[in-house]
Amino acid sequence: MALDPARDARLTGLTIAAVLDAARPAYDRLLERAEEVEDEWSYDNDLAEAWRTRLDEVDTARGGDPAGPELMAAVDALGREADAIDDPHRAIDWLSTFPQLLLVALGERP
Amino acid sequence: MRFQDAAPDARAVVYAGIQAEPLVARAAALLADAGPDQRVLARAAMNGMSTDAATWQAMAPTLFGDAAAGRPGPDGDRARSEAILAAALEVAERGEQVRSQVRGAIVESLTAILAARRRGATGDSAIRRERRILFDGVRAEIHPYDVTVETPGAEEALDCKWGARGISADVLHQLDDARTHAADEDVDLTVTLVVFDARRSCDVRLARETAPRSATRFVTIETLDDLAGDRIAGAER
Repeated sequence: MALDPARDARLTGLTIAAVLDAARPAYDRLLERAEEVEDEWSYDNDLAEAWRTRLDEVDTARGGDPAGPELMAAVDALGREADAIDDPHRAIDWLSTFPQLLLVALGERP
Repeated sequence: MRFQDAAPDARAVVYAGIQAEPLVARAAALLADAGPDQRVLARAAMNGMSTDAATWQAMAPTLFGDAAAGRPGPDGDRARSEAILAAALEVAERGEQVRSQVRGAIVESLTAILAARRRGATGDSAIRRERRILFDGVRAEIHPYDVTVETPGAEEALDCKWGARGISADVLHQLDDARTHAADEDVDLTVTLVVFDARRSCDVRLARETAPRSATRFVTIETLDDLAGDRIAGAER
């Protein structure tokens, strides 16, 4: 039987805001790893700020909307992938990649 | 102004081998007809850690979940999404240095494929790779351009970058210098920087650069299909 994300969300009470909140700690850890490249510290933080702003926009616009359980599974997989990155240079690249993937999962354009 | 093959030095020979890999051609062909979400996923997987397809499918429910079925366009084509992910994971399975080269070659090949689709690009013969541009009385740049469009009257030089972090003063100067030198010879050379990354990230990088770029065309992961459109002369967009 096909899942009904809206119905499932009503049952679980899961919202887009909760999905975004669940994603934020992994992004913060990614930034910490990226900051190990001292020459790019300022760029890393500007980059993270730019993407956090975009995620905040989604939170403001859709935060109260119901979210299907597949979104929390997506955030969980995304967080584990980000946590597995130990190379700070790759972490810098993922400061851009992580929010793009999250936005795609949410049906948003980066 | 004239185009010329780059000198076949050791780097060029090694890189030509990378460019000739079947995986590069396959991935580029898939990405040329991909939707925007499929391109984002491919980019992530090519520079990710896990090579388990199920992990990536979980991250992209709009491509692999029930939501994908009703989507129009390539992003709604699950078989295509699976093929793109499979190719991306093959790249990821390569050794660290090699996969970086393969990724770069894929972006260049993708750029060449899309540019060859534009009206007036007289087939693949007008689209060349690793070419230098020579100007009268100007010392030649050492680094060749990744892709050139050599259609008379619609010449273009394109450099390709995997990510926003690849945007540098050197790259911006080289492109703008080429445009300026071409203009000195009354040639309207379009210069384009293709970045396989989000525009938002590119803007953050560009905000740190003071090199001239007002006449450089920027193509990002969201606007790759613009490469197949008619040439747009000039200013930053």
